Amino acid sequence: MNTIQKKIWMLAGIVIVMMFAIWLALTFYNQKMQDQYNDILQRYLQMNEVTASSQQTVTNLNDYLSNPSARSAATLASSQKRLQDAQASLLELRNADNEFSLTNYSNMIESFTETVERSAAFSEQGENDIAASEFTEANRMSVYISEMTLSIFNSELRTYERFYRDIIRQSQELNTMGILLLSLTSVLLLLFTYLFSLSITKPVHQLTKAANELAKGRFDQPIRVNSNDEISFLAKTFDHMRVNINKLILEIQQKAQVESELQESQLLLQQSQMRHLQSQINPHFLFNTLNTLSKKAYLDGAEDTSDLLVSVAGLLRYNLKRLDHTVTLEEEAHVLTQYMDIQKARFSDRLTFHVDLDPSALLYQMPSLTLQPLIENAVIHGIEPKEDDGEIWFRIKDENQHIRVEIEDNGQGMDELKIEQLLTGGIAPREGHATGIGFANVAKRLQLFYGSNDVVEIESTPQCGTKIILKLPKVMEVESYV
Amino acid sequence: MRRKVIFVLCSLCVVLGFFTVLSVNKVLNSEWELPSAVSSDEQRQRIVLITQELDTPFWKLVGQGAAEQAEREDVGFELWGSYGKNQEDFLKQVEIALHSKVDGVIVQGHDTEEFQQLARIKAASYGIPIITVANDVPVEKSLRKTYVGSDHYASGELLVKQLVDDMGESGEIVLLGDAELEYSERLRLDGMEDSLAQYPEIRSVYIESGSSDEQAADAAQQALNEHPNVDAFILLDIRQARVIMQEISSRTELEPFYLYSFDDGSDASALLTEGKLDAIIEQSPEEMGEKSVEMMMKWLRNEVVPLDSKGYVTDIRIVEGKDELP
Repeated sequence: MNTIQKKIWMLAGIVIVMMFAIWLALTFYNQKMQDQYNDILQRYLQMNEVTASSQQTVTNLNDYLSNPSARSAATLASSQKRLQDAQASLLELRNADNEFSLTNYSNMIESFTETVERSAAFSEQGENDIAASEFTEANRMSVYISEMTLSIFNSELRTYERFYRDIIRQSQELNTMGILLLSLTSVLLLLFTYLFSLSITKPVHQLTKAANELAKGRFDQPIRVNSNDEISFLAKTFDHMRVNINKLILEIQQKAQVESELQESQLLLQQSQMRHLQSQINPHFLFNTLNTLSKKAYLDGAEDTSDLLVSVAGLLRYNLKRLDHTVTLEEEAHVLTQYMDIQKARFSDRLTFHVDLDPSALLYQMPSLTLQPLIENAVIHGIEPKEDDGEIWFRIKDENQHIRVEIEDNGQGMDELKIEQLLTGGIAPREGHATGIGFANVAKRLQLFYGSNDVVEIESTPQCGTKIILKLPKVMEVESYV
Repeated sequence: MRRKVIFVLCSLCVVLGFFTVLSVNKVLNSEWELPSAVSSDEQRQRIVLITQELDTPFWKLVGQGAAEQAEREDVGFELWGSYGKNQEDFLKQVEIALHSKVDGVIVQGHDTEEFQQLARIKAASYGIPIITVANDVPVEKSLRKTYVGSDHYASGELLVKQLVDDMGESGEIVLLGDAELEYSERLRLDGMEDSLAQYPEIRSVYIESGSSDEQAADAAQQALNEHPNVDAFILLDIRQARVIMQEISSRTELEPFYLYSFDDGSDASALLTEGKLDAIIEQSPEEMGEKSVEMMMKWLRNEVVPLDSKGYVTDIRIVEGKDELP
């Protein structure tokens, strides 16, 4: 991870390296130039040394000739030594351009030295005339040497002129380069600094914005910071916090919902318990009351009423049975007859009930309360709307594979659409049913009980009537189902 | 805003970077040209050619030829000398060359006592060989190794032949020459006089023309005064040709006269093309230069020992002026 500290170090490092490089380059070139200058100056100095020492030698020779003593001889020797040293160093100054003249120069010095020595030697031998002429010679040669020095200076100047111009041009170019380099460095620094400051302030801005969002309560927007330093770490932590807060809030909300649901269901439970109690009290009370009323009616001689009340009570008792119990077809048929007795009392002449039972089929088991809702449907939809001549047929036949139960009315009938709706439970049972159990419920229970789908059939023609056919498999001895 | 700033800075960087790279390149690539150094143990032989007439085309050609030959032989060579026959300077140069212990001196011979002194004593004491070129100094006086240049006696003869061809075998001619004749000029004069002796009908007069321009003009006047019937002038020194011709043309027409000279001066070819000179003896300066260096190298390498002291003769030929009268 790039830390901010590292970034600052890097920036400082780059600046220092750049400055150092520039300083190094400039120093290097300066040094190079200075060395060259020194070399050239050294050349001139060495050549000048030749002239000076040759003149010195001539003076000393003159002294020696006029006053030959050990001291003047020593001075002469020392100046000759100096000249020879100067001559030796001349060889190093040779180059392709001045080789010729420098060799001449050097030889000239040699000749001069020889002449001086000759002069001194003659003087020592007392041959003063020859010594004097040699001295004149030496003197002339010294003048030549001076002239030669000058001419070599001249040619050196010519040779090095280009070089001087080069150096001047170079220093000008160095200046230009320095200025350019300085401005380049400045601009680069500006750029780096700007990018660097951006890399710090931009994530901070993003973070501030994200913090503002959080402060406003929006916990769902993720915090994104494009950075790879401490601020990114901060942002990640911050985002983590946001996610956690978000989770906590959701949890609290869920808890609250569950609690409210719990309360609601508790209320419902209480209500249903109340209803249950209510409904438990009612049937038994009604059942007993009905029995009492039946006996009373019998004693009063109203036998019809008594029978009717017995039927109602029987129906009620049957209704109170659990739905999951199986019954025999006979029981079912009995309840059905009782129900029809009640209905006959209600409709009197308008309803004719035909029963055709095959006694051999009545022993088989079937779910309870299946036929009663069907016959109720026939009464409500077939007979109630009719003015008169309502007829209902109830047949049970033993066919070899199964038992065929038919409930037929001569009511209004229904179309295909309605039949479909009836079978799929699209029509809810209306008020006025005795048990509140709908056709679909019956069909479903039969299917479940027998494990087969083609138990119930409906045949109906509008305005002619409806026939419901149950094909019940022969089932004996079933304790309970579901 | 941010993008704009970055863009501006980046483009500035690119532009400055470009120029900086250019400038750095320039600084790094500029070499300081110094003359190449020479290893100290390598000693080339040095030959000096010294003349007292550095200003004439003739000697420039000699120098050129010698330099080319020296280049071929790979020896150090320099052309020294004085301008306008400055003898003092010339002798000084010779002395310097000897003191400098050059390996060989090729010199324009100068028939004076001082020169002979230098050549005989000093050169001998340093053991430096001397070759004279173009102008000779007799070997017994100078102890020169050899001479390279024209046969001046023959050139005198050749010129007389040309004169006779142009003028015929009778007439009056004036010979004009310096106060102090060079050895070569004297040879030319000898050659001419010897061959003129064959033609008794031709009368020749020698008039000294001095060494300065005024003296030369006077000499021309004198010649015209004393010899009104003169047919031809022969000038031993071509450097006086212009003055003398000016003098003549101020008096009379230049055309009728036959004018001859020897080419070792600056004016020769110009005067020839102008048609003022009828003919000159042309020498081969480049050949002289080449040959002299060649001979010197042969001597130094001990290939030809001793050199022919009579000298090595280079070509001479007559060149006629273009617009000469019949």
